[in-house]
Amino acid sequence: MAQTAIQLKSSGTATTNWRVWLGVAPFLLFAFLFLFLPSLRLFTASFTDSDGNFTLSNIIQLFSEPFIVNAYKLSIQISAVTAVGGGILGFLMAYAVTVGGLPRSLRSVLITFSGVASNFAGVPLAFAFVATLGRQGFITHILRDYLGVNIYDAGFNLYSFAGLSLVYMYFQFPLMVLIMAPALDGLKREWREAAENLGATTTQYWLRVALPVLLPSILGAMILLFGNAFGAYATAYALTGGRIGIVTIQIGAQIRGDVLYNPGLGYAMAIGMVVIMAVSLAGYSWLQAKTERWLR
Amino acid sequence: MNFWSRLRRFPLWSWIWFIIGGLYFVLPLLATFEFSLSWDPEIPFKAYQRAFEDNDFWETFIYSNILALATIVVSIILIVPTAYWIRLRLPEARRLVEFITLMPFVVPAIILVFGLIRIYSSPFNIPFTDIRLMQPLTNFKAGTNILIVAGYMVLAMPYMYRSVDTGMRTVDIRTLTEAAQSLGANWYTIVTKIILPNIRSALLSGALLTFAIVVGEVTLASFLGVDAFGPYLFLLGQHRAYEPAALSFVSFLLTWLAMGLIQLFTGGQGQAAGAH
Amino acid sequence: MAYLSLSNITKQFGDVVVVDDFNLEMERGEFVSFLGPSGCGKTTTLRMVAGFEIPTSGKITLDGNDITNKAPNQRNVGMIFQAYALFPNMTVAQNIGFGLRIRRQAEGEVVNRVNEMLSLVNLETHADKYPYQLSGGQQQRVSLARALAIRPEVLLLDEPLSALDAKIRVSLRAEIRAIQKRLGITAIFVTHDQEEALSISDRIVVMNVGEIEQVGTPFEIYNFPKTQFVANFVGSLNNADAEVVDPANGILAMDGVHFQTAEEDFVNRRKGDKVKISIRPERFSFAADPKKENVVDCTVENITFLGAVVRIQIKIGNTKFNMDTFNNPFLELPAIGAREQVMCSKEAVLVL
Repeated sequence: MAQTAIQLKSSGTATTNWRVWLGVAPFLLFAFLFLFLPSLRLFTASFTDSDGNFTLSNIIQLFSEPFIVNAYKLSIQISAVTAVGGGILGFLMAYAVTVGGLPRSLRSVLITFSGVASNFAGVPLAFAFVATLGRQGFITHILRDYLGVNIYDAGFNLYSFAGLSLVYMYFQFPLMVLIMAPALDGLKREWREAAENLGATTTQYWLRVALPVLLPSILGAMILLFGNAFGAYATAYALTGGRIGIVTIQIGAQIRGDVLYNPGLGYAMAIGMVVIMAVSLAGYSWLQAKTERWLR
Repeated sequence: MNFWSRLRRFPLWSWIWFIIGGLYFVLPLLATFEFSLSWDPEIPFKAYQRAFEDNDFWETFIYSNILALATIVVSIILIVPTAYWIRLRLPEARRLVEFITLMPFVVPAIILVFGLIRIYSSPFNIPFTDIRLMQPLTNFKAGTNILIVAGYMVLAMPYMYRSVDTGMRTVDIRTLTEAAQSLGANWYTIVTKIILPNIRSALLSGALLTFAIVVGEVTLASFLGVDAFGPYLFLLGQHRAYEPAALSFVSFLLTWLAMGLIQLFTGGQGQAAGAH
Repeated sequence: MAYLSLSNITKQFGDVVVVDDFNLEMERGEFVSFLGPSGCGKTTTLRMVAGFEIPTSGKITLDGNDITNKAPNQRNVGMIFQAYALFPNMTVAQNIGFGLRIRRQAEGEVVNRVNEMLSLVNLETHADKYPYQLSGGQQQRVSLARALAIRPEVLLLDEPLSALDAKIRVSLRAEIRAIQKRLGITAIFVTHDQEEALSISDRIVVMNVGEIEQVGTPFEIYNFPKTQFVANFVGSLNNADAEVVDPANGILAMDGVHFQTAEEDFVNRRKGDKVKISIRPERFSFAADPKKENVVDCTVENITFLGAVVRIQIKIGNTKFNMDTFNNPFLELPAIGAREQVMCSKEAVLVL
């Protein structure tokens, strides 16, 4: 290792390693001050009670306090539902414009739109859905006036779990498209031809070759989608104003005013969330590595 | 080729999925646009007029743009040399830096702002002493601005870094630097004439993405008490009906413009910034 | 009756004619190469036999059956791809057994056949490896085993060696030919490398811009090329302009120097006709030989030592010719600038 470091220097003399690290010092300092330090603070504070002593009670309460358990349950549910739903729809759309045989121009249209839609979260998205499926919304009107179906009478409510899921899907499935399109490109045409040549039908090819090869990619992407939904705050708040008690909303409430009457608990919730996100990131990375090996 | 074999080749299901997805994309936008026009049947663009007449809109929108610009500039100053240094002098740091750029995914905006507030709203003491180093940043406006720009930089960092790093790899910045050095160029020349011009499209792409993230951002802005466009829009939604729809549609158009420009400069790979 | 026959095969993409009136009859067990530069239509023709392209017009018959419009998974032809195309999610053994399992053969039979194929290509110890763990040559052998496992009626090879190192190319092509001979399987081999085609084929089809230039054994193609293209594409060639002097006796003049040719249709030419003559470099020699009718004066311009071959550049009349001779350390070569007499037979002088 030290050998390489010396050879790469444009000047001839070997300097001690630490001087070279000065080059990345600003970046590391920045990351420390504004990323690690805040996270560390949350971490240590979650193990502190109101008197400043070390305690595990906050962490324990994460699993025992029904209010908190419910928040996590809701968050996990909505993240899972939109990850799978968005994953399937996103995969099918990515399939349609890559292997599925649609004209090339549609592919770049879809990619651009996916880039837009996956960034179009937060307040404007919530408003857009209110204008679409709210009580006076565009689709609500069409369904009522032309098809005689009143979805609100039938029990639908945009400001509910189902409604929020629909809104989340708007940025979930484009993200899936963006991840899966390159992966689907990695499916070599020769595999399909070789399978056909050996007697396989299209279905057999997909079941035995294409889907198994794509599986790590698909699973990894869905895990990423899960994390993506789990960490979302602004969209949920703008749409439901805090009525649906997912973890991010609860944390937001805690930041504004100590609604839990125990600051340590708020930090613990935050750390719990970070753990979930870290696990999902690790899962995604591991599956990505596997994908790369096969689709090289 | 006969009719049946041609029919067999028609991608029916592909079209179906594409149309379903397309509708999902388009209908909310259509609905927003339609709603924004429906205030006054005689003046279709009344909502837009009113929205743009509001002084607060301009103040917050311009302010958000300034914040975005600041984020972009400081990010470039921080990240470009770092990426370059890693490429040329310190490949060992690569794993560490790439790990750091993944962290913002693990620490989303709501958690980040939680931590930032807790740290920087208390005064800085030298540990274990009572000696005050600095007042809480959140006490004064400039401090809050520094904080929010730093926060935005953290949010945008993964995309900016990845964009710059890919750009440098594509042009093989290392060989270019060595060629320039062998021809006698000094560092200033290398930076201005070799590095920056060659990663121009990567910088633009990163900048546009940062712009898209910052202008619409709500979480950091509202918790830190900054008068940015995001909180303004949210507040507007509490009191008004048509103007928020108009501004949401405009915001969509802006995002589309930014993404379209990125497509133009990078030629194909979409970029996703994820949920807020 | 021919085992595999392609009759009047034409393929058009829009306005572009990629294969034009291709005709070929192959016997069972024959090894035929399609040889030509890129874009000549050889791969397209192969893919039509495989079923991945449908001919615009024409007919393909295999063992009496018309397969022109049959789907590729109904044809029972085995294909080897340039990029190996092994399924990355399956081991070597699973790859080889793929076609058999699709055909729902009993598991015991599948295992036996897979082992048989593994020993055929000498990869018994690699059965449980994944493609990414194998070298290029090994992957191609697995590809061969996979295609042969299903007992195909025809084996199609699409530039299988192009992606491999030079040494592996040579050993693998010999292996492929040996296996083909042993199994007696009919094979079509597409390549742009003339050495490959010459060394392993029973017959070669030389193609250019969608058309067949010549079909023949390697010997025929090399020594009796019918067109300029074939002569230039296969082996190297000296070309010069000449004029007919005596059509009845086949005598031409190049730069005033008389050459005699053995071309048969010379009687149809008239005195004064302008033609192009071509002579292979290795057909010249300095040694006297009664069988070599042409004896002309030349000047030695340059000598290049290439190892096994020594290339001597000579000037006959005003034209430079390359002359190749085998390296012989005990034979003295003429000096540069020397005037010598060089000979070649009349069959060596090609008029194309």
